[in-house]
Amino acid sequence: MNNFDLILRNVTQRKMRTGLTIFGIALGIFAIMVMGGMSEYFNRSADRGLDLMSDKIYIVPESGFFGGSLEDSMVSKVRRIPGVFDAYGVLYLPYDMESLGMFGAFVVGLPPDKQELTLRDIKLTQGRLLLPGDSYRAVIGSNVVRQYGLDVGGEIEIKSKRVQRASTITTARNFTVVGAMEFTSTDFDYMIIIPLDLAKKFYEMGDQLTYIWAVPEEGVDAEDLSRRIELGVDNIKTISPQELRKQSEQVLLVMNLITISAAVLAAIIGGLSVMNTMLMSVSERTREFGLMKAMGAEVRDILLLTMGESALMGILGGIIGIAGGSIFIYFMNEYLATMGTVLFAVTYRLMAISLLFATFLGTVSGILPAYRAAKMRPMEAMKYG
Amino acid sequence: MDEPVLRVRNLTKTYMQGKIPVHALNDVSFDVEKGEFMSIVGPSGSGKSTLLSMIGLLDKPTSGSVFIDDKEITKAKESEVPKLRREKIGFVFQHFNLIPTLTAFENVDVAMRFARVPKNERKQRAVELLTQMGLADRMKHKPSELSGGEQQRTAIARALSNHPAIILADEPTGEVDTKTRDMIVNLLRKLSEEGHTILVVTHDTAVAQQTGRIITMRDGMIESDKT
Repeated sequence: MNNFDLILRNVTQRKMRTGLTIFGIALGIFAIMVMGGMSEYFNRSADRGLDLMSDKIYIVPESGFFGGSLEDSMVSKVRRIPGVFDAYGVLYLPYDMESLGMFGAFVVGLPPDKQELTLRDIKLTQGRLLLPGDSYRAVIGSNVVRQYGLDVGGEIEIKSKRVQRASTITTARNFTVVGAMEFTSTDFDYMIIIPLDLAKKFYEMGDQLTYIWAVPEEGVDAEDLSRRIELGVDNIKTISPQELRKQSEQVLLVMNLITISAAVLAAIIGGLSVMNTMLMSVSERTREFGLMKAMGAEVRDILLLTMGESALMGILGGIIGIAGGSIFIYFMNEYLATMGTVLFAVTYRLMAISLLFATFLGTVSGILPAYRAAKMRPMEAMKYG
Repeated sequence: MDEPVLRVRNLTKTYMQGKIPVHALNDVSFDVEKGEFMSIVGPSGSGKSTLLSMIGLLDKPTSGSVFIDDKEITKAKESEVPKLRREKIGFVFQHFNLIPTLTAFENVDVAMRFARVPKNERKQRAVELLTQMGLADRMKHKPSELSGGEQQRTAIARALSNHPAIILADEPTGEVDTKTRDMIVNLLRKLSEEGHTILVVTHDTAVAQQTGRIITMRDGMIESDKT
């Protein structure tokens, strides 16, 4: 029996109440979209980041980023270890020296001949890579392009700071943008790549390095090799591809837990509000259901009618929540892009999950009221009014 | 006379009021022929409404049987009840009992939906019945926009929609003025002349007078049965 018209009629009958209930669900789904959008972005970013980076072994100073340091001489030591195809040093500094370096762009000093090893399949949307012999030239990531509105040929000012006795000396230089990278949803989007030798000079780093990246020879086990590097070179620590994966999975786990908590909270709030509305609606219509049974309605007719109503409210709330969430995320990303960052991704998977979840929420919350309506005895139900 | 449409045999209903048994119906038996227009009268508490709810499958008797078209409906399983209600019985209630959110047309239509009547057929039948009730131009109105008489005629159209074996009317004129009352009684009589079996429960003697047979109840028993 197709009773969609009856369901629609009942849902639209009490506009204020239905509207508020749908709004409640929509808010819940909105929260799922926003939290989920963030988690989707991080998932995607981590996947892509691992794709791009998991072919290398990361070498850091043994005592951590802030304490010790890596030196040029270590690069050749690493390169000499059997199984290492290539190794090179990298300088990694926050673009804005005042910031803690948690967000925003990074200046990356990279040997020009190692760019292809580093960027792998990342394409340039404009211009070219750095060439050996380039001086104050830079290749920039897509978020840097957006944040500073830069094109190839544009200039980006980079500052370096040095503490000398009680005063700081700031040097600023304009770098000409020669290339721009595509959007990757990874750290590469935040990079300003300049030649390593120049970076060392500009920042007056001597022969210090932030990382050494080692590329294993083909067929060499990266985990084994990373242990061999650790044993073969003093004062360093390696992060193997597997460890990198583990670390990123831990971060993702936290993100996913946040999303799930938001979903659970949304479920409780949305579900209770649907249930409340439906219970109220069922008790108001006690007589109507009694009458339907006297007319010969089956239990399943009434179950379908009432659960159909709550499911419809769930679906409508879901659609509104998804639309609202998507719009919010769109503008938030636009806004964040001007600040040089991106935080959210709307995926079809996320939308599908949100809609399914909303429908499920509506339907499940309708079970108890529907059952109550269906089990009503016609005699008592009709005396009710 | 034809075969009886309705046979009531030794029907008894006992409620427990606390620990005291109340005999709402006590060994009631009678037959109703096809096309009969009859009334059950009696003071409140005489058991007439209880009797009607047993016949209408709204309640179960303590003992005894009700047969409609030779089917013993009092022995029906819970799962068969909705089907029997749809096929055998058409209700007309005192409070009209229309679904307030639906139009007159939809109120008739919905009863046929439960009987899984195809849409086209439903539409045709609802229009036909409402026209027959003189409501051709009121079909798109909701109960709140209809007069008491119009509402009751809609309810009668609904009761007729699934071709029931018997129409049970519980105080159908309880909430209307005398003019409307006469109109409804005339309508019911006309329907019985067309072959519908109609059983009216009423305490209004003026209504009962116009039916072909009057069963008077008192203390759960039949006091008199006059034709």
